[in-house]
Amino acid sequence: MIRFENVTKVYDQNARPALDSINLEIDRGEFAFLVGASGSGKSTFLRLVLKEDRASSGAVYVAGQNVAKISSWRVPRLRRGIGVVFQDFRLLPQKTVFANVAFAMQVIGRSRSVIRETVPEVLKTVGLEGKENRLPHELSGGEQQRVAIARAVVNRPGILLADEPTGNLDPTTSMGIMGVLDKINQNGTTVVMATHDDDIVNEMRKRVVELRNGVVIRDEARALYTSMIPVVGQSRRLRDASGREPSDFGAANGEAQHAGEGKL
Amino acid sequence: MRLAFVLAEIGSGLRRNLSMVVSVILVTFVSLTFVGAAGMLQLQINQMKGYWYDKVQVAVFLCSDGSTAPGCASGPATPEQQANLRKLLQSPAVAQYVNDFQFESKDEAYKHFKEQFSNSPIVDSVTPDQLPASFRINLKDPEKYEVISENFSSQAGVESVIDQRQLLERLFSAMNAASLVAVSVAGVMIVCAILLIATTIRLSAFSRRRETGIMRLVGASKMVIQLPFILEGVIAAVIGAALASGTLWAVAHFFLGGVLSKQYPDTAFISPAQTLLLAPALIGLGVLLAGTSSLLTLRRYLRV
Repeated sequence: MIRFENVTKVYDQNARPALDSINLEIDRGEFAFLVGASGSGKSTFLRLVLKEDRASSGAVYVAGQNVAKISSWRVPRLRRGIGVVFQDFRLLPQKTVFANVAFAMQVIGRSRSVIRETVPEVLKTVGLEGKENRLPHELSGGEQQRVAIARAVVNRPGILLADEPTGNLDPTTSMGIMGVLDKINQNGTTVVMATHDDDIVNEMRKRVVELRNGVVIRDEARALYTSMIPVVGQSRRLRDASGREPSDFGAANGEAQHAGEGKL
Repeated sequence: MRLAFVLAEIGSGLRRNLSMVVSVILVTFVSLTFVGAAGMLQLQINQMKGYWYDKVQVAVFLCSDGSTAPGCASGPATPEQQANLRKLLQSPAVAQYVNDFQFESKDEAYKHFKEQFSNSPIVDSVTPDQLPASFRINLKDPEKYEVISENFSSQAGVESVIDQRQLLERLFSAMNAASLVAVSVAGVMIVCAILLIATTIRLSAFSRRRETGIMRLVGASKMVIQLPFILEGVIAAVIGAALASGTLWAVAHFFLGGVLSKQYPDTAFISPAQTLLLAPALIGLGVLLAGTSSLLTLRRYLRV
């Protein structure tokens, strides 16, 4: 569904590349986590899939198409096949829940009757029945993210990209959101989620692709947020790579917390 | 559905940006009024030229019933006098200066008069008898007016010899200068309008960047995203152009028709209906201005 062949992305000639010769394939119907510290290249990866940026070299294939070969007037069609969810929800504050979701259908010219039929269905899928007429500020963060997910999938895209969708949410709400994303994945949508949230990754036990400094350093099925490789070795490698130990500590802390929760 | 959506977007954009939209309307209104004023001056010049101006230089008017000139003491010009004049025009002494000439009978004179003064009440009180017949002469060299004047002024049956160009040229050059000034002012104002439209579109694009960002993400086409912005500018410019057209009409109706035509009954003025001919040109110009400047702005400030 998504294939990266030797993809390099350079923003600034003098700095190291944001992505460095990435080779990666994500199959149809897969659920993959993209993990790594800030600046590791997760967002660049997502932007390349959406053709928001062009790869400096290498080829990006989405649904079998080389995105570099898609002419600019056909980019909208590519994007109709991809839903996107962000950390900050990006809802339209003056529109109701229903109107926010309907907006995504209106702008691509869907008829009113189709919208009236589809939107309630999708809202039901994300668990927002009965909240059609609320405004975004009347909802909790988790509910707002559900609206954003509903908007992203209302046009039935084959791919759902989620850029830290739980970054602004508490752990319980986050798990709720993951339930929704999992349900969407069960329905056949390929889901790629960039995240920092170790609890979630450890709970879901899906494929994990770890990026560091633009390079894939780990790609494991049914994996955890941190590698299975012994901790001593890993912390040395972290120090070597970035000189930033705290991220390692953070991860370790998170895991400890998660373990505690599991006991409760 | 898509049309309804685009219209709703335009409506919300216009409301959100009301003060900028009003200023775009006013600036296009003023600039197109100046463009229209230049157009009106040219129309007026054409009106005053009448049927003969571009064809001949000199008119030899024959005596008619009401003539009071000394040469006409013996009454209206007789057919013999008329034949004599024609012979004189064809004689070698005069013919060498003449390109060609035409005779305008009283009836033809009346026809041309009616055309030129169609907007003036004077047309109802004039009959063919009151208008003199004339020879209209096209000179090889327009400067040789004196030759004709000397040869014909003293002929029997000639009321007067008039060099039309001399009469109107000065007035026309003043009017041409005025339309040049109007066009220059219009040029400055149009630059102003273009920049203002660009700023307005930019502001509008900025205030709706959330919506357009989402539209982009869910795969809205370039047209659906950009059209509301372009139409916003075009609508404002069309309103400005319509106001300018209305103003020109009002000037023709109340000032030319109501005031000047009463003060100068012997001058032909353009009618209010004629100024409306300028309206499509002004509206077209407004659409062109707004369309191009918003397209260029969007290319820079609204990524699709």
